[in-house]
Amino acid sequence: MSWMNSAPMMLLERYLDGTSMRQTLVSTNIANVDTPGYSRQVPNLEETTPVQIGNNTFGTGVDLASVTSLRDSVLDLRVNQETQQQGQLNAFISTGQQIQALFNETNGTGLQAPLTAFFTSLSQLSTNPSDINTRQGVLTAAQNLANAFNQTSSSLSTLQRNTDLSVTQSVNQINALTSQIAAVNLQVSSVQGTGQNAGPFIDQRQQLINQLSNLVDVSSIDAGNGSLTLTTSGGAPLVVNGQNFNLTTQADPTTGLQDVYSQGTNITTKITSGQLAGQIQIRDQEIPAIQSSLDALASGLANSVNTQNQAGVDLNGAAGGNIFVPPPANGVGAAATLALATTDPTKIAASAGPPPGSAGDNTNANALLALQNQNIINGQTPLNSYAGLVYKIGNDVSSALSNQQAGGLVLQQLQNLQGGVSGVDINEESANLVRYQNAYTAAAQVSAVVDSLLLTTLNMVTP
Amino acid sequence: MSIRLDPNLLPGLLASIQQSNQQLTVATQQLSSGRSVNQLSDDPAAVASLVGNHNQASQDDQYLQSISTIQARFQVADSSLSSVVTALTSALSLGVEGANGTLTPANQQSVAAEVQGLISQVQSLANTTFQGSYLFSGTAVNTPPFTINSVANTTTYNGNAGVTSVQLSNGNSVNGNVPGSQLFLNGSGSVFGALQGLNAALLSGTNIPAAVTQIQNALNTVDTQRVFYGNVLNQVSQAETFLNQDQINLSTQENALIGVDPATAATNLAQATLANQSLLDASGRILSLPNLLSFLPNP
Repeated sequence: MSWMNSAPMMLLERYLDGTSMRQTLVSTNIANVDTPGYSRQVPNLEETTPVQIGNNTFGTGVDLASVTSLRDSVLDLRVNQETQQQGQLNAFISTGQQIQALFNETNGTGLQAPLTAFFTSLSQLSTNPSDINTRQGVLTAAQNLANAFNQTSSSLSTLQRNTDLSVTQSVNQINALTSQIAAVNLQVSSVQGTGQNAGPFIDQRQQLINQLSNLVDVSSIDAGNGSLTLTTSGGAPLVVNGQNFNLTTQADPTTGLQDVYSQGTNITTKITSGQLAGQIQIRDQEIPAIQSSLDALASGLANSVNTQNQAGVDLNGAAGGNIFVPPPANGVGAAATLALATTDPTKIAASAGPPPGSAGDNTNANALLALQNQNIINGQTPLNSYAGLVYKIGNDVSSALSNQQAGGLVLQQLQNLQGGVSGVDINEESANLVRYQNAYTAAAQVSAVVDSLLLTTLNMVTP
Repeated sequence: MSIRLDPNLLPGLLASIQQSNQQLTVATQQLSSGRSVNQLSDDPAAVASLVGNHNQASQDDQYLQSISTIQARFQVADSSLSSVVTALTSALSLGVEGANGTLTPANQQSVAAEVQGLISQVQSLANTTFQGSYLFSGTAVNTPPFTINSVANTTTYNGNAGVTSVQLSNGNSVNGNVPGSQLFLNGSGSVFGALQGLNAALLSGTNIPAAVTQIQNALNTVDTQRVFYGNVLNQVSQAETFLNQDQINLSTQENALIGVDPATAATNLAQATLANQSLLDASGRILSLPNLLSFLPNP
């Protein structure tokens, strides 16, 4: 009968232990109620193996078998994917908004005003071709137009260089994160190896991968033993077990902009989402496309004006020359370098040929003016070509904004679902706390009763 | 058992508040700027149309300026020609006076001298300038168009037959001048020829009636040519009306493209304000809701 003396006490002790551990979990959960990425932990209780004595089976109490951090890895994956999209769109929008400010025609910023002013100065010249002040007006308008092209192009180059710096910064941030993830990866597999709850480390890793997703497209493969292998979606390795593979940057020999390398391979064009992709998209596609439209506009205009001026006769009776410095033959850099070839207002060839023409003739001035309605820029009039560019810039930002908004709603929804699985609910924890407290009190009461029974028994044998 | 919801309401509330604040900002911006489109991405197509709209408005401004230049120039030209008509009418009466045969040769000489005076007067009218340019020398605007050799009694035209074309509005242009040769040395209606012929006839006392007929022809020619100026001035004033109307249309169009109706904007702002306040009020209540812990007895 010796088991009767000790067994209930042992059983109760185990039970009291289990209850206090459950209370510890409640405290941990409540303490982490606002911790980003924290997944609530729940106890997994198991009835301990009963003992068989004769024909009777006696329970031996309860055991806290394990602790589980509740999380849904599919949701985690979806959150990471949406975060990548958001990262890319945010980066695109942030510079895109600066670009569109350069062309904000709603408040008079942009090239429409100087472009129109150039042609209206020619219209004025047409009504008074021999007047030197009117001619000076044409040169001034041409100079203003050239300045506007120069400034817009230079502002775009500045934005491109700033974005280039951001690319390098993003790569540094990616490397910092992958090195942290590699360290946590090791911890996850070592804790998991011992059979304990690796949940807190997985929380931490998911939080870091989520931050990484904001920067670059991440694809994760379960490497077994709790370890994750991370690559870019193009397959460039980022983290394998406890090792991280740094991305590097290297100046492109042609553009001078930083290309992104992984293990000696240029992966600049293979990065498909995340902040880095948005920055590369702005730097390597959006800005160059706008620059090239501006170049086409500047060079088409300068060449046409020069050709038409050469067809006429200037105020000195000589054949007309160039108004603008001839732009580069392929047009590249035309907007940045557009400049006047003359400061002499008499050099505007308002009169028709042949020399010496005549001072009051406006035939060629009219022909110069008519360029505004001719399809001299890739099959479009100068103004329509510019309006098309304005539309493209606005539309690119506008569609990025609407995608960002839609994606933001999806992300929020996913985060709500994630919270539903992993979030700590104070009410729920409070209820558990009360439940465990009651159970603890009950167990304690039982042990007091057993104690008093024991005392009574002992008193029976008092001499 | 129901689906477990995200117990953390804060991120959702914050997102809603942020969105509501954004709507408030947009409503305020629209009302204060008077525009519903403040940057390209607000409405790319509207801004692209705006580029054309602003261009057209500036062109119209320029056309209106051109029109006022043309009007001023043509008024000066027409008034010169009107003075030429007066001079020719005087010459006509002098010629009739000389032709009636009652004048002594000495009187004829003095009438001839008066005609000579008229010739100089017409010459200076034909050499009229406007803003430094000769009005009647074709496109050779820096050259005085007419020189007179009073010894040989001949007139030389130093201008050319050039005619300029000036745009009044898109696709609508008019001739900007009439060459002096067409006005003053126009074949049988030549003004200078007629005056110089009358002068010679008076001096010689012969063929005076024929010279008077020539003066009459010249008068007819000038009258005919003046019609051109009248027509162009009419055309110009029609173009002016059109451009003023076009500017109103463009301004209406601009308003339709990027403007905002003040009443709508004010209503939007009021709604956004109300929504924002309600949201903040609700959020405040939700966040200060007690939880189960508040009801647990103190140990």
